[in-house]
Amino acid sequence: MKNIVEVKNVTKEYKELKAVDDLSFVVKEGEILGLLGPNGSGKTTTINCILSLLNINKGTIKIFGKIMKPDAYDIKKDIGVVFQEVAVFEELTVYDNLDYFCGLYIKNKKQRKEYIEEAIALVGLENYKKFYPKQLSGGLLRRLNIACGIAHKPKLIFLDEPTVAVDPQSRNNILEGIKTLRDRGATIIYTTHYMEEVELLCDRIIILDKGKVLAEGSADELKELANMDEKITVEVDHIKETVIEKIKYFKNVHEVSLERNTLIVTYKKGKNNLSELIDLLKENKVTYSKIFSERPTLNDVFLNLTGKELRD
Amino acid sequence: MLWHNFKYSLKVLLKNKILLFWTFAFPIILGIFFHMAFSDIESSEKLDVIKIAIINNEEFDRDMFSKEAFKMLSEEEKIFSITYTDIEEAKELLKEEKITGYLLFEEGVNITVNRSGINETVLRYVVDEISSNKEIMTEFYKEGNSQMNISELKGNIKDISKENLSYTMIEYYTLIAMSALYGGILSMFITNYKLANKNAVGKRTSISPAHKGGLLLGSLLASYLVQVVGLSLLFIFTIFCLHVDYGNNLPFMILLGLIGSLAGLSLGVAVATLIKANENTKTGILIAITMLGCFLSGMMGITMKYQIDKTIPLLNKINPANMITDGFYALYYYEGLNRFLMNIISLLAFSLVMLLLSYRGLRRQKYDSI
Ligand SMILES: Nc1ncnc2c1ncn2[C@@H]1O[C@H](COP(=O)(O)OP(=O)(O)OP(=O)(O)O)[C@@H](O)[C@H]1O
Ligand SMILES: [Mg+2]
Repeated sequence: MKNIVEVKNVTKEYKELKAVDDLSFVVKEGEILGLLGPNGSGKTTTINCILSLLNINKGTIKIFGKIMKPDAYDIKKDIGVVFQEVAVFEELTVYDNLDYFCGLYIKNKKQRKEYIEEAIALVGLENYKKFYPKQLSGGLLRRLNIACGIAHKPKLIFLDEPTVAVDPQSRNNILEGIKTLRDRGATIIYTTHYMEEVELLCDRIIILDKGKVLAEGSADELKELANMDEKITVEVDHIKETVIEKIKYFKNVHEVSLERNTLIVTYKKGKNNLSELIDLLKENKVTYSKIFSERPTLNDVFLNLTGKELRD
Repeated sequence: MLWHNFKYSLKVLLKNKILLFWTFAFPIILGIFFHMAFSDIESSEKLDVIKIAIINNEEFDRDMFSKEAFKMLSEEEKIFSITYTDIEEAKELLKEEKITGYLLFEEGVNITVNRSGINETVLRYVVDEISSNKEIMTEFYKEGNSQMNISELKGNIKDISKENLSYTMIEYYTLIAMSALYGGILSMFITNYKLANKNAVGKRTSISPAHKGGLLLGSLLASYLVQVVGLSLLFIFTIFCLHVDYGNNLPFMILLGLIGSLAGLSLGVAVATLIKANENTKTGILIAITMLGCFLSGMMGITMKYQIDKTIPLLNKINPANMITDGFYALYYYEGLNRFLMNIISLLAFSLVMLLLSYRGLRRQKYDSI
């Protein structure tokens, strides 16, 4: 598979702060690459560097195998960007916004009309064509923002947190749309700090922190890095120190922690961990209100690698 | 691309009510206020004969030109009623407020007045005119024209005849200047949309394969068109509803309006590219610059324009509002086109400077920080 984007040793400094720090990665043709990182980890800066909107201090950026420059119009014509902040004209209707932005790429009017209708259908704005941005709800506005970025059928699409502040229904709608774009053959770079989204959507994930790649791989590969396989959470009423000691002696247990009334037991691997734990609690007459078992999430990966949570 | 941008910029501008208010409605509203305020003043304060004294010394006696001019202004034009006297009496008369001021010819003309007001302004203005005319004539005379031509002098003095000294005219000129410069809000607004470091939409256009020059040109043409339409409405309104008489030099007036609007447009582009602030602040800055410029060029009374022309001439030389105002003024009051053309050239130079200053910011595609 071809490399669509190649980022090599890119550093971007703002005055004192290194927002992107010697960053290197590639994006392969036809994949959805997730850039996952907490607020301020450098996701947006990375995208702006790739797009040649920002001067970089060091490094090279290639798109479609060619060096990216502000006047590389043959590269730019195949790129679509959905910016983190909504970028539309307040004074134009949904349809006119799309026509304006799409018109910067597609000259042929008939073709443009078809593309716009497709984009409107993709994000589900069929009933809002004549609406002005002010008349749209937050979620609908996000959808318009997305449509404006992708209507010209770009081969490479950047989506910078397109689902921020969007209700679950709109969000599903957006995620479905993004999958459709990939299935049509687009390569996608998707940034977010919602780990559920990247797990659901992305073929490959890069975890960013402080402008650096922390880890890279598929969701399953990354979870290996969490150093655990199962996490059981118990809301206990009261538990004695001796019982905790007993739990620690189970052979698969990796770590036990108690904070207030929440007991968290993590396991490296193994089967029947949950029933084993339930039996032990019963024997020791520990009462509890809730007990559940989870597979590790990317947040656990992040926690294990950095010692802090992905989301505050 | 040019047409595409022109079309949508026009749509954007015409949809924005705040912009339309400042460029279309505000000058007209102000015009109505001027009309209400000045139509009274015009009729009640229509220049009385201004009483002055001239110190009848040797220098004045030798100054054929001035002597002739003041004689004409008092006998034929009835602007002044002149007492020829000595300095003590003149001082006394001024003290008793029997005269507006007195003139002492001593290495040039010295004007002494007590207050500042319309009469004082007219006096200053007339003395200035006579002095500058005298210089021209003296040059002419030196170059071998044996006789100083009194009939030519008459022609020049006519320019400052009574009915021409109407103060409200200058206010309407500044109104036109204001409207032309306010057009800068339109170009500022539309330019902002093209700059990736100022506006999210600017980012979107910057990453497109459309060339920035074409994008900008199309948009600026649209803002210019809206601006010129606004200005035309103001012209039409003041001429037909407020019965303002701009004289009958229509082609030149149109030229001045078009070039004045260009100056406004360039000012707007410069504010958009050079000033780091949000859109509302920039609009505020533009309005403030325009208002100050209009004030200095006589929006609230010709005295101001006169004082600035006299004391800090440079300020009004770089003040685009004054260039426009003075252009109209020159068209109306002056026979030749020299002064008018000077203003046209100044406006073009001003526009060029503004656009050159903005050039780097406009061309820029890559930023250190956005
Ligand atoms: N124009 C700027 N000037 C100075 N510092 C900036 C600028 N833009 C961003 N930064 C800093 O660079 C770092 C990375 O910011 P960036 O916007 O890339 O983060 P992000 O990962 O996109 O965060 P978020 O999830 O909040 O969107 C942050 O510490 C931010 O404060
Ligand atoms: Mg961001």
